[in-house]
Amino acid sequence: MARIELDAVTKQFPDGTKAVRSLDLAVGDGELLVLVGPSGCGKTTALRMVAGLEDVTSGTISIDGRAVNDVEPRHRDIAMVFQSYALYPHLSVYDNMAFSLKYRGGVPKAEIRQRVAEAARVLELEPYLQRKPRQLSGGQRQRVAMGRAIVRQPRAFLMDEPLSNLDAKLRVQMRAEIAQLQRTLGTTTIYVTHDQTEAMTLGSRVAVISGGVLQQIAAPQELYRRPANLFVASFIGSPPMNLVDARLERGGSETDGGGPVVVFGPHRIGVPAEVVTEHPALERYLGEPIVAGIRPEHLRDAALTVDGGDRPAQPVIELPIKLREELGSEVFVHGAIGTAAHVSDDAADDVRSLATIVAKMDPRTQIAEGKTAAIAVDAARLQFFDPATGASIRG
Amino acid sequence: MATIPAPQYQPGGTTPRNPPSASSRVRRTMHRWVLFILMVVVAVVMLYPFWYIIDNAFRSAGQFDRQSGHSLSGWNQLFANLPVASELLNSTLVCVAAIAIILVVSTTAGFAFAKLRYRGSGMVFLLVVSALMVPLQSILFPEFVNLSNVSLTSSYAGAVLVYAALGTPFATFLMATYYRGISDELIEAAVMDGLGYERTFLQIAIPLSLPAIATITVLQFIQIWDDLLVGLFFLPTNQRTITAGLATLSTGRTTSVPALMAGSLISAIPAIVVYLIFQRHLIKGLTLGMGK
Repeated sequence: MARIELDAVTKQFPDGTKAVRSLDLAVGDGELLVLVGPSGCGKTTALRMVAGLEDVTSGTISIDGRAVNDVEPRHRDIAMVFQSYALYPHLSVYDNMAFSLKYRGGVPKAEIRQRVAEAARVLELEPYLQRKPRQLSGGQRQRVAMGRAIVRQPRAFLMDEPLSNLDAKLRVQMRAEIAQLQRTLGTTTIYVTHDQTEAMTLGSRVAVISGGVLQQIAAPQELYRRPANLFVASFIGSPPMNLVDARLERGGSETDGGGPVVVFGPHRIGVPAEVVTEHPALERYLGEPIVAGIRPEHLRDAALTVDGGDRPAQPVIELPIKLREELGSEVFVHGAIGTAAHVSDDAADDVRSLATIVAKMDPRTQIAEGKTAAIAVDAARLQFFDPATGASIRG
Repeated sequence: MATIPAPQYQPGGTTPRNPPSASSRVRRTMHRWVLFILMVVVAVVMLYPFWYIIDNAFRSAGQFDRQSGHSLSGWNQLFANLPVASELLNSTLVCVAAIAIILVVSTTAGFAFAKLRYRGSGMVFLLVVSALMVPLQSILFPEFVNLSNVSLTSSYAGAVLVYAALGTPFATFLMATYYRGISDELIEAAVMDGLGYERTFLQIAIPLSLPAIATITVLQFIQIWDDLLVGLFFLPTNQRTITAGLATLSTGRTTSVPALMAGSLISAIPAIVVYLIFQRHLIKGLTLGMGK
């Protein structure tokens, strides 16, 4: 087990592309840190630098306090699970798993056998030890790749999108197995994925990266509840957070609740007093444009809310419904907001550019396409962002 | 009540199809016959020389002139005039040594071109591949002068080096192409497993490239074994290859065709055997990089 630190690590390729920009990260002993971000954001490059497969342009990578920038990959005592599994096709499952121990030397044959047998038992690979990788299913190959990493008992695991080649069902199953295995072994792990669901369910902490820059590193719930900026707000969560260009105006009327009011298009949403207390910086934005955000799950069918009588009174906006999507356990409704939705540079062709917001509804909802529906907004969950910097308005 | 007839079973298919019309059946049969006749013609053209060699190797000069009767006279003449065994041994030595050099150079260079990143590798690869365009005849004299300056024209070494130099560009090209098809992650996995690039090459790249190595072995064996020019130029009489030896059977106005045919038959056998042994790998190697 090990503590891995990245201090102002930058990677610039010979063609001038900066894949990683001044990345600071600290992965605790035994922690599972997930690097998540869209394709090409630099997360895999960062992982490969930790592995030693890419040179570091500037900055320092250290393992247990020792700088390893110039240490060969084989001397870092780190195991890596690759996206393609990278199993040796000419070797049996047993030989794949024992490969590193055999060639590194220093481990007696009996112990190699014992370690492989133990890993095979944990990963349920015992019946396949004499087979070649081509004779295995995708899930079994993925397990062999895991087994190859485990038998080495390295100081840390690096996993580069190890589940991306599996079908959806198997991915969920293997995700749980990896999480359980990591907790059992307690080995420091850096896990790279572009799938935010995978990141949220696996990581004790999640680092969101975009354009080679670390956007936020926090526990999954913290990322979800308090995104540091517009990118994190829109990347974490499915469907993504609804973001609209709005103005923050001074309220005053009783219907507004007496506090500031978020105004976008024909809609007005009063900001509750506790939100203002939590975001004192909002005062500075009175009369100014802001980006307001609300997650789909914090929008409800007003009819159900009122009829149920189990919700506090919430501001209601009337939206023409353009689309209703049935998912069984929930219903997504897309409502036109009557003004331009906020479009970030990163999501120019995102669904938000269609000037709709998405609400995740109880399946009992009667809201129908083509009708206007009253949507209750859980205003206590509103998020606010500076339109110029994209940063969350807090403090 | 009207009944719907059950669909008729069609051999070779699960869904009923309309039976082909008589004219389309005739067209298909004609097409098959034309193809068959064409293939027979090609087979005859390809195999006739082999038949000619075998048939005439077992005749005397007179029988050859008359084209009737068979005997071992041609074989007796061949063994009387040519040290067949030693020339076959010479051919084998030259082939094995040259192929060994070609394989060592092409596998290491191919791996470096395909998997190692260094400045100018693309340009160097282009230079190596451009050597494919240089015909043997154009470099024969300069090579002879070069090698005679270092006294290598009167031993196996000169011919071996020339064959190796001629075969390496193509072999390197083939190996680099093959190694490019091997996932970078596989090489990196071996590096992470603690091997370093040298042992990764030996433990992972070489075992995975056996089809390409077999292809190079067969192609180079056939090329070197059958070559006449380099053997005549660079080897002394006592170290001549079988092909160069056969050329000496034809002296001025007298040529014993049966002896020549017998020699050709002996000479062809090793190349055919090597081809038959490696043919499965050869086909795999030649089609590499064509798809997933």
